[in-house]
Amino acid sequence: MKYIIYILLSFNLTTFIISAEETRQVDKHEHGVGELNIAVEGSTIEFEFMIPGADIVGFEYVAKSDDDIAKINQALKTFDDYTNIFTLPSNSLCELDSQKVALKEEDEHDDHDEHEDHDEHDDQDEHAEENHNEFYAKYSFECGNINAIKEVNFPYFATFTNSGELEVQFISNMGSTSFEVEGDEPSINTDGKI
Amino acid sequence: MLLKLTFNSLYARLLTVAMTVFAISLSLMLYMSVEKLRTSAYTSFTDTISQTDLIVGARTSSVQLLLYSVFRIGNATNNITWESYEDVINKKEVAWSVPISLGDSHKGFRVMGTNSEFFKRYKFRGGQSIELEQGNNLDDLYDVIIGAGVAEKLNYSVGTPLIVSHGLQSFSDHDDQPFKISGILAKTGTPVDNTVIVSLEAIEAIHVDWSTGAKIPGQITPVEEIRQMDLSPKNITAALIGVNSKLQIFQLQRWINEYPEESLSSILPGVALQELWRIVGVVENLLLGISVTVIFTTLIGMTAIIFSSLNERRREMAIWRAMGASPKVVIGLLMLEALIISVMSIIVSTVMLFLTLYVLQPWIDNTYGILVNIETLAVKDIYIFMLFILSASLVSLIPAIRAYWFSINDGMTIKI
Repeated sequence: MKYIIYILLSFNLTTFIISAEETRQVDKHEHGVGELNIAVEGSTIEFEFMIPGADIVGFEYVAKSDDDIAKINQALKTFDDYTNIFTLPSNSLCELDSQKVALKEEDEHDDHDEHEDHDEHDDQDEHAEENHNEFYAKYSFECGNINAIKEVNFPYFATFTNSGELEVQFISNMGSTSFEVEGDEPSINTDGKI
Repeated sequence: MLLKLTFNSLYARLLTVAMTVFAISLSLMLYMSVEKLRTSAYTSFTDTISQTDLIVGARTSSVQLLLYSVFRIGNATNNITWESYEDVINKKEVAWSVPISLGDSHKGFRVMGTNSEFFKRYKFRGGQSIELEQGNNLDDLYDVIIGAGVAEKLNYSVGTPLIVSHGLQSFSDHDDQPFKISGILAKTGTPVDNTVIVSLEAIEAIHVDWSTGAKIPGQITPVEEIRQMDLSPKNITAALIGVNSKLQIFQLQRWINEYPEESLSSILPGVALQELWRIVGVVENLLLGISVTVIFTTLIGMTAIIFSSLNERRREMAIWRAMGASPKVVIGLLMLEALIISVMSIIVSTVMLFLTLYVLQPWIDNTYGILVNIETLAVKDIYIFMLFILSASLVSLIPAIRAYWFSINDGMTIKI
């Protein structure tokens, strides 16, 4: 018995040494914490969301049942209309310029591929246990009066009932700052920061 | 008339009243100094770095990277290789960059290796640049520029020779390669004041005869020979980076954080600072909570003192009644008393606060790098004062009402 343990141990050690040659990195992934980046330059403001699948649809395995696929498609459709996620003051005169909504699926053999096509997840194989997926959405606005954005509200928390908090990184010419937004107070105060 | 009476009555009990005023003033001062330090620390920190979009360093927590690279406090982070640094700055998003190399010291002051970009790009307090007060830039390999604080404390001037120590202790000096002060920076109120600045090449030069953290015994390469060597830096501690457009910043940040060849991290200074403040905020709230509690305790103390004096003052009140004062006037008198005590306490505490801050300001600045603003009272302080006066008057109602009953029952003859 003892020897078996030694053999197993040494086997483990050698595989570790062999595999130490390659660089391995794993991104952070925390359920209940979505990330949001906001950048302001001139009259443009961009919002970039990266939200764990669990926070949106309640699961992160590759959707295979019709029910799960429907949930994902429904969620992507919800992201298509940004007003489900956040709202800007109307007097800021912001017009949506471009947007990109995608489901990023990562598994053990993650190669950082983006699966922008909504239906592609059907073809994925079985990695159900190790899967982490992430909803990615980016919205870019051109604003007539960008200084009027004194507050951003997040219907996001009401739209997705599984959602946790949003960690916000914010940058403009005034400098960078961060916010933590939660459902009980779903807004950030950007007065004097743009 | 009433006011004069109250003043005279208070004066008659000068010692007790003075002690009460002193106790309340101390507690108010405690509250105000906590608040003052809190806001000063925040502005000092946020004013230290401005217009830098990203700080790049080895993979570590954002707070640690910020504290070490900008404030030069806390634990050292790993270094990053020059190759990785070049890969980062060759990205099209990068507009400018300032490499920083830390690790050595001079008499307890950090030595920072950097290049001429630092003087152009490093901005503080809403975009101010650092300026040379005396002397010149780093022209020679062995030139150093020192911050205003270093010059002041060590009494250095342009031309003074200077030896850099290896690491933070002066156990081993780079005494074979002496430097010369070429310039002194104007005071900035940031950690730059306490920094000795040399070129990145000079950092390489002083470590020519060093291998794995120790001087190679017996090996001293002559300075002339070192000057001929290739001294391009092999690694740096961190880099300050500016981007062309703020819209590209997160893309660049992600690229750096996922850089496969080396574990790097890039942080937005304001975000890291906010993160730090969320941690510090807990302690701050605790301190504020304690000082508010202390204010309440002294308020209760004040009431207790007025209360306990009531019995002794039943004669006094009887005299007031005899002079024609109605029981309501008695209430007014006691409330006025509390009011006078609290206003006096506020005046005394403010004077004490400013005197203390005036005395301690240089020490706080030197030790913690926090410049305490002693010019004005915050608007918040005024609110707190008003709230304090209001609650003092309210609390004093309790003994006042009791005195009212006493005076109704006693009339002019005291029944004990």
